Amino acid sequence: MFLEKGKISNFQLGLLIIGFVFGSSVIISPGQGAGHDAWISVALGLMESLLIVWIFTTLAKQFKGMTIVEINSLVYGKILGTCISLLFIWYLFHLGAMVLDNYASFFKLEIYANTPRIIIILALVLVCISTVGRGIEVLARCSAILVPITILIAIADSALIIPQIDLKNLLPVLDVPISQILWAGHAAASFPFAESVAFLMVLAFVDITENVSANFLKSLLIVGIILIIVVARNFAVMGPMAAITNYPSYLLAQAIDIGEVLTRLEVLIAVNLITMGFIKVSVLLYGTVLGLAQVLNLHSYRPIILPIGILMAILALTTFGNSVNMLNFAQKGYPVYAAFFQIGIPLITLVVAKLRKLNPTGGSKA
Amino acid sequence: MKRKVKAKIYLTILLILITICLAGCWDSLELNKRSIVSGLGWDLDPKTGEVTFTVQSIVPGGGQSSSNISGQQQGGSQTRSIQVDKDTGPGMYDAITRLTQHVSRFPFYPHTKVYIFGKEGAQYGIYQFFDVQARNPDSRPNALIVVSAEKKASDIMNIPDGLEKIQAFGMAAEINLSAQYSKYPAVTVFDFQKRIMSKTTAPIAPIVGIAKEIGSEGREIKKLRVAGTAVFKGDKMIGELNERESSGLLWAINKVKIGFITVPEADLEVVKAKSKIIPELQGDKIKITVEISEDSDLVLFKRRQDITVGVVRELEKDLEKEIKNQVMASVEKSFALDADIFGFGEAVHRKYKKEWKELQPKWDDIYPQIEVEVKVDAHLKKIGDIYKAL
Repeated sequence: MFLEKGKISNFQLGLLIIGFVFGSSVIISPGQGAGHDAWISVALGLMESLLIVWIFTTLAKQFKGMTIVEINSLVYGKILGTCISLLFIWYLFHLGAMVLDNYASFFKLEIYANTPRIIIILALVLVCISTVGRGIEVLARCSAILVPITILIAIADSALIIPQIDLKNLLPVLDVPISQILWAGHAAASFPFAESVAFLMVLAFVDITENVSANFLKSLLIVGIILIIVVARNFAVMGPMAAITNYPSYLLAQAIDIGEVLTRLEVLIAVNLITMGFIKVSVLLYGTVLGLAQVLNLHSYRPIILPIGILMAILALTTFGNSVNMLNFAQKGYPVYAAFFQIGIPLITLVVAKLRKLNPTGGSKA
Repeated sequence: MKRKVKAKIYLTILLILITICLAGCWDSLELNKRSIVSGLGWDLDPKTGEVTFTVQSIVPGGGQSSSNISGQQQGGSQTRSIQVDKDTGPGMYDAITRLTQHVSRFPFYPHTKVYIFGKEGAQYGIYQFFDVQARNPDSRPNALIVVSAEKKASDIMNIPDGLEKIQAFGMAAEINLSAQYSKYPAVTVFDFQKRIMSKTTAPIAPIVGIAKEIGSEGREIKKLRVAGTAVFKGDKMIGELNERESSGLLWAINKVKIGFITVPEADLEVVKAKSKIIPELQGDKIKITVEISEDSDLVLFKRRQDITVGVVRELEKDLEKEIKNQVMASVEKSFALDADIFGFGEAVHRKYKKEWKELQPKWDDIYPQIEVEVKVDAHLKKIGDIYKAL
């Protein structure tokens, strides 16, 4: 069953991963729970996520050219496999809705105060729907344009704020209890790094599969290092303020002032969120519809893109009433909830596949 | 083939038209519907708890010389370039909404340069304001914090500054200039937030007051003047530093950039300065060493005498003594106020994070007992174009 005829190169995959992991983390700092040691938490989270990525890329390598849905039905059999696949698809769908929610909350608060939420969300979702309809190749090419811009803006922001950096704000190192740092580290792994488990729906379409694993880890390292720098910089400039504000990078960009000429650059952060949010939502929507199409044995995933996209928008509009609920879930619930999908499913599937000694090339019953 | 080209052209035109329709956002408010705020004043009446909100807005097209407009309030032929409106209400937003009853345009805050607090309100506590400031996405983190030497913020928001058309911008420039010449600190919202969120460090802010001069025809001229440094404890202003103490504070917290120092025999220009706060725990006692190193140039030598190696050494010694005295003056004042304006507590925290957990709750008791040592390392670099007396 080949629903997707497109192929993406290793390089495009790398950029797509970078864009995906940036996602809403261009505005929401990971590792917030650890105070000014957040950068350590992010580093720990990055390490944890490298392990997670290694698990699921191994799985993808073992079952070349198969998405997680196909792998599941091969490993667990038809019924159980479908159930697990549906759970996984639900995660992608829910995650997409949460990204949309973050996106809308940010714009509603900072930029389009009076614009209805639904307009902000629809404006993004409709673009994503249209892109997903054109397949993974188009999305990958989009990321080749958008991701370098984002990295450039992140670096430029960091460079322009250097005069205001005070490294004393990062001292003393390890000020909060270790357990808190570790938990914040796990939270940083679950958001944003290990969310790249969604690529289990995409890895099947990489044309050269030999060094996918290394490529994946490399991309994750690039985005991880940028995020560590960003988080450390936020705290070095703003001190404790970075720990209590919703959108530290945005607040920091407001503070950039080079000779009263180069000021008010914060909207660049919003631009980053638009482009990276687009990539993240698109990949998640793509994973959701492709997975559903495979589960339901459809000939094409295109007819269900629009309804699923709209449902995603509706879920985003109705899940969280306000940002306090969102934050509460993000800090307490999400790291546990996400761990099941990010670590649980790939790891168990890998173990079961090993135990059943499946020969993937022969298993073409899906 | 031709039809295809034609269709493409139509499509391009359509796309361009669509962008025109889509540009702009839901809540766009044109410039002629906004009043651009240059300075904000905030007062709180300690007795009633009522908040007074003062808005200094820029008058569009104001400040130009024109004879046909009758708004000649400041004499001469200039129209006024700012307008100050204020209103009072039981809460901050009551005051702001009441403004709409007598202001024709909606205030637009992102260009605000200074936040001014009346002395009374500052002494009562300004947490409310900072909460609103941090919560509101319209506010800027680079605005300056100012405490009015007068009772009310509005008292100093109408005093014109001769050079700048927009008074608040002039006030901000004065504060930045006096900070550049190491007289008084310039405190941005970020700086203030950092200090207010620290459990021990006391926030500071420059005080701006009115200086009266007798001008020609015996007329009294009022001018703005940076006149001190307000010291806060938590969010309440508890005292102020004078000029000398303010300089001492700047020396200790590594905020001296350039400036002039007068010693008995000479005037010197500071060209480079660096300071470091080094805490040390000695049993129960805390010792703080403030290490200052600075380079300065000789700009005036009062004795009619050649500059010799001995004189240079003498001047350096005088300089070190003077800087030390300035720092000690501010240290003693801060001990008297029991307000940790230097961030000694945070310095201890950075170095002794384990002990800090016990020290922090009783820091108020510990602070005045700290032993402070100031070590100054002054260097005379240039002596100017002459090396012998005239």
